[in-house]
Amino acid sequence: MWDDLPLATMRDVYVIGAGQSPFGSFPDETYLSLFETAYENALESVGGELDPDRIDEAFLGTLGVGGRQIGLSSPAVTEHLGLHGVPTTRVENACAASGYSFRSALTAVRAGTADVALAGGYEVMTDTSADQTKWWLGVSGETEWERTSGTTFAGVYAQMASAYLDAYDATVDDLSRVAVKNHGNGAKNPKAHLGFECSLEDARSAPGVADPLNLYHCCPTTDGASAALLASEEVAAEFDGPAVKVAGAGAASGRVGLFQRESLTSIPASVQAGEQAYAEAGVTPDDLDFAEVHDCFAIAELLAYDDLGFCERGEAGRLLREGVVDPDGELPTNTSGGLKSKGHPIGATGTGQVVEAFSQLRGEAHVQVDDPTYGLTHNVGGSGGGVTVHVFERTEVDA
Amino acid sequence: MTRDDRSNDGSSNDGSSSDDPPRETVSIPNEVELPRLLDFYDLQDAEHTGIHEFYGNLRDGELTTTRCDDCGAVHFPPRIVCPECLSDDLSYTSLPHEGTLHSFTEVRGTAAIGMTDDTPFVAGVVDLGDVRLSARIDDASYEDLEIGDPVRLKIVDIDGPTDQDRVFYRFVPV
Ligand SMILES: [Zn+2]
Repeated sequence: MWDDLPLATMRDVYVIGAGQSPFGSFPDETYLSLFETAYENALESVGGELDPDRIDEAFLGTLGVGGRQIGLSSPAVTEHLGLHGVPTTRVENACAASGYSFRSALTAVRAGTADVALAGGYEVMTDTSADQTKWWLGVSGETEWERTSGTTFAGVYAQMASAYLDAYDATVDDLSRVAVKNHGNGAKNPKAHLGFECSLEDARSAPGVADPLNLYHCCPTTDGASAALLASEEVAAEFDGPAVKVAGAGAASGRVGLFQRESLTSIPASVQAGEQAYAEAGVTPDDLDFAEVHDCFAIAELLAYDDLGFCERGEAGRLLREGVVDPDGELPTNTSGGLKSKGHPIGATGTGQVVEAFSQLRGEAHVQVDDPTYGLTHNVGGSGGGVTVHVFERTEVDA
Repeated sequence: MTRDDRSNDGSSNDGSSSDDPPRETVSIPNEVELPRLLDFYDLQDAEHTGIHEFYGNLRDGELTTTRCDDCGAVHFPPRIVCPECLSDDLSYTSLPHEGTLHSFTEVRGTAAIGMTDDTPFVAGVVDLGDVRLSARIDDASYEDLEIGDPVRLKIVDIDGPTDQDRVFYRFVPV
């Protein structure tokens, strides 16, 4: 099990650069051109010149919505970037594809098989018909025994919302408060897909999608790409700027189908991945200065608060009502706008969260938290079939 | 002849100049047949599934699943190997035809492809004691339901797209 792993033998790993393309609807872009933009922005964010020849390996996440280059898509991307010969792997874990591509790059640098590794993800979703998108997202849920009930992810998360609102002191208005907060943040992020503010009244009165979730409780489908450059401590020491250390990592799988779970009011894989990441980093949720959590549907953000220990179980609604997770609160959450406002280009979401964590810890975020030391990213595949959690720390590098 | 003064009326395809590349219009189909996975339901006969007995029982009006003869685990979905102990000594056992609603939603805008014409409809997780399953809840609306409500089995015959006689389970409020 993870708690038996010999952490002491692993190398420390730093994020030395991170960048994203704009998230949105771009009929004139391809997955290659979007990733090229993200990659260039990541290289530009490095405190100094990183020779791309130093990238030892690349891990790229995508679901492959629409069925474009599914086979060998990673070599197609690295070839497009001029990274000829670099070993590269496509990582697929639905919406957690690039949480896991980041984890793979982290593992490579920790283990010493790479000194510099590229992690990233991309997705093009807006050029397919609504039916095709439903098909591609539908087959990321449990396809044999859950899909027969006619649901896609909205319907699956809606059932989690029904269960949560029934079990705890939380209301549909609390779901709407997720939209208000995240749109408020996303409106300040020039790379957000839906970069506009919404009022509680807007969020309340949106058309129903899958009761109790309405349109403002659901993230959009989005085109976009994101990238992060991971490096060993020795390499990180060559570059300027605050060092962003990967202080802890956690990951877990969970039952793909909702009907197979003990409880619908928690995602066990989030709990397990969170505990592991906190333990590795030697921190508790109280130490966090900000978090980017997976808010594909508003209820997912409430579940994340509970599962990651931001509050006692069932108290997520209170965090929203009391402004604890607002930009000026104790634990600002989804300062990027989250999936709800920034957008959710499936394969690009996990490393997209890393881009925000990197920006926050370097003091360059659009909604900047005051002098943060620790930040967390939380990426969920499907309705909880795969989760990654990473804890980042601003620190000094010992050369 | 430059690219700009090239004729668009097909006259460049008459072979009048040996410099002109040949031209031809090719057709692509208007529709492409989609993969069979778009069909929600298994092919339910012994030739196509190891759990054909589950479907046979359902066709006969009984909801069943597998129980492991070695470790006693009751599974859903029915299995051919026990996921708890890897035994393949499994027997079919009856499930109750009445259970309770563990959670539910009314799908309005994002039905799975293949059920989009049915919206709005209720879907939920039904608790049958030993197992839970996801199912359509017919004759119900979100406003009228509460978690814990009793529901009972309904069997639907599947019409198309194969000529097999196929069945599936749904539930209705008691
Ligand atoms: Zn067994």
